[in-house]
Amino acid sequence: MNLSLALQIQNVSPDVNLLLILPELIVCTAGVIVMMVDAFARPRQRWMTGGLALVGLVAAMAASFWMWSGWAGPREAFHGMIVLDELRLGFTFIALLVSALTVLVSMVWVEGENLPAGEFHSLLLFATSGMMLMASGGDLVIIFLGLEILSIATYVMAGFRRTDLRSNESSLKYFILGSFSSAFLLYGIALVYGATATRTGLAGTTNIAEIANRLDVSLYPPLLFAGAAMMLVGFGFKIATAPFHVWTPDVYEGAPTPVTAFMAAGPKAAGFASFLRVFVFGFPFVATVASVQGQIHAAWLGALVVLAIITMTIGNVGAIVQNNVKRMLAYSSIAHAGYALVGFVAAGATGDPVFKSEALSSVAFYMLTYAVMNLGAFAVVTLIARSGDRRTDFEDYNGIGFQSPGLAFTLSLFMLSLLGLPLTAGFMGKIMVFRAALNAGYYSLVVIAVLNTAISAYYYLRLIIVMFFRERTTSWSAPRVPASVIVVLIITVLGVFYLGLFPNRVLDAFKTRPPAVMATR
Amino acid sequence: MLSAILLQTTNVPKTVGGPITAYWPVMIFFVFAVIFPVLPIVLGRFLRPSIYGKGKMRPYECGIDPVTEAHDRFTVRYYIVAMLFLIFDVETIFLLPWAVIYMGNDFSFTKFALLEMFIFIGILIVGYYYAWRKGALEWA
Repeated sequence: MNLSLALQIQNVSPDVNLLLILPELIVCTAGVIVMMVDAFARPRQRWMTGGLALVGLVAAMAASFWMWSGWAGPREAFHGMIVLDELRLGFTFIALLVSALTVLVSMVWVEGENLPAGEFHSLLLFATSGMMLMASGGDLVIIFLGLEILSIATYVMAGFRRTDLRSNESSLKYFILGSFSSAFLLYGIALVYGATATRTGLAGTTNIAEIANRLDVSLYPPLLFAGAAMMLVGFGFKIATAPFHVWTPDVYEGAPTPVTAFMAAGPKAAGFASFLRVFVFGFPFVATVASVQGQIHAAWLGALVVLAIITMTIGNVGAIVQNNVKRMLAYSSIAHAGYALVGFVAAGATGDPVFKSEALSSVAFYMLTYAVMNLGAFAVVTLIARSGDRRTDFEDYNGIGFQSPGLAFTLSLFMLSLLGLPLTAGFMGKIMVFRAALNAGYYSLVVIAVLNTAISAYYYLRLIIVMFFRERTTSWSAPRVPASVIVVLIITVLGVFYLGLFPNRVLDAFKTRPPAVMATR
Repeated sequence: MLSAILLQTTNVPKTVGGPITAYWPVMIFFVFAVIFPVLPIVLGRFLRPSIYGKGKMRPYECGIDPVTEAHDRFTVRYYIVAMLFLIFDVETIFLLPWAVIYMGNDFSFTKFALLEMFIFIGILIVGYYYAWRKGALEWA
């Protein structure tokens, strides 16, 4: 009886607005359709699945652009479970772009490896829908749901080469550590829910905006601290910040290369989306430091500064000693998470909506630039690795600069962009993030980040030197470059230059418009 | 800090519930649950005579002498069936609150709820057909 009464009260207004989750719905539907086509099509027609996945992703992108430009309706649905703001749209765009590029990279690869194409593409689409939910969730429950949809699909994709031991190892490690971190996150959510119960008898809340309102009237402040700390650990795992990064090199090395490309760019960006939303909007800046809210804010901001420093340093120092290109790129992805955390700190440190929106857009922009150059680099690595990912050591790149100049030059471009050379996307991303941190007054953090960039020059340039200045001792036959990968390389090279030369349009699109959705409620 | 939390409970209205006090029975139960198996093992360690023989140290298998190694391959078919079962088990769990709401007070929710549940079941059926087509139900 109690159950039915409680449910009937909820019945009052379901606040359904399917248009607000249109991109997610399109991607999910495309995933189901791809699954069905895979089940019913004859084996020779399986190539269709990649094309269908692309169609779905492009349609979702169109829907999100429509929401970006012409949306006049409500900016919340399902009682605040789904929100619509530029933070969400920016990260939705990144998720869709990463997924589309991964489909293009993997279309031919998946056939060549004799792997089930339909399964791969539907898993990719489901993972994408999870990433989008993580960006659009205004409620801790939706964020956790999105995270799990994403993670479970990614665990399977990491172990997709079933007969390869390295792939199995990668999948298992990712699964165990990933579920461990999900448990941390969930426990944090539960503690925050319990701590936000009020004296007047209201139950706790998982709505992020509501959490921010209740911080100072919380019944059990110590639980709030514990909950925020555990969520920090959970998200820290997902975006691979040190000291929660140990899974990254092994998982990235063992997973099939296109999957690594996806994992390094997509889930990391999605993790940042919800990390930003939970901490910047759920435990926001407040002028009175003595209050509970002020204490929590100071605590997580301080922790993030330390995390950013450790992450950058460990990522860069670890990358120096690697002899495997995929491992090197894995450590570099840790380092890049550190740079993005610098922007995160800036976004959290200010209460001024203009500065905050600038810092948030700088982090989103950074993740976009990282996604573009990273996917480009991994596309080349996929081609050079050949079937079974056999050639991923630095030695395998010896002297290919003169045998396959096209591939070598594009890879060099992405390396320079990852390093942050002017005119490239990586430079502009770093500039934006560092400028936000300087505006917020974190001078020493920026100095450390710049020093770290100098360290990173060693291993990015090392790959270029290996490709152009070493003699090749073994024979080399240039890999056949499929048309779809050529498309990826064209998009990413143009993207690197576009974002590096004309970043303003993208940055403006990522900025929150004045009536900030989450801040006022 | 614990005592601070415990003291706070006196001011809290009953609707929220004391955070710790309500769990005392569970905690006591937990303590007993730990003691109950550990105590006999520890006691037995000190009380029993230790005599080892070949027959005694052999892995126990219904009293019959073991025929093969314990490390053997076995089929994962049951695992797949268990997964398929789980899908429909969870479906039932979701159907229950849906049915309660559907029969709710004013039927304003009805059309949406009906459509939504058909979509939900449809997705599950898609998954089921997928497993079927992929040969998860082939037993031979």
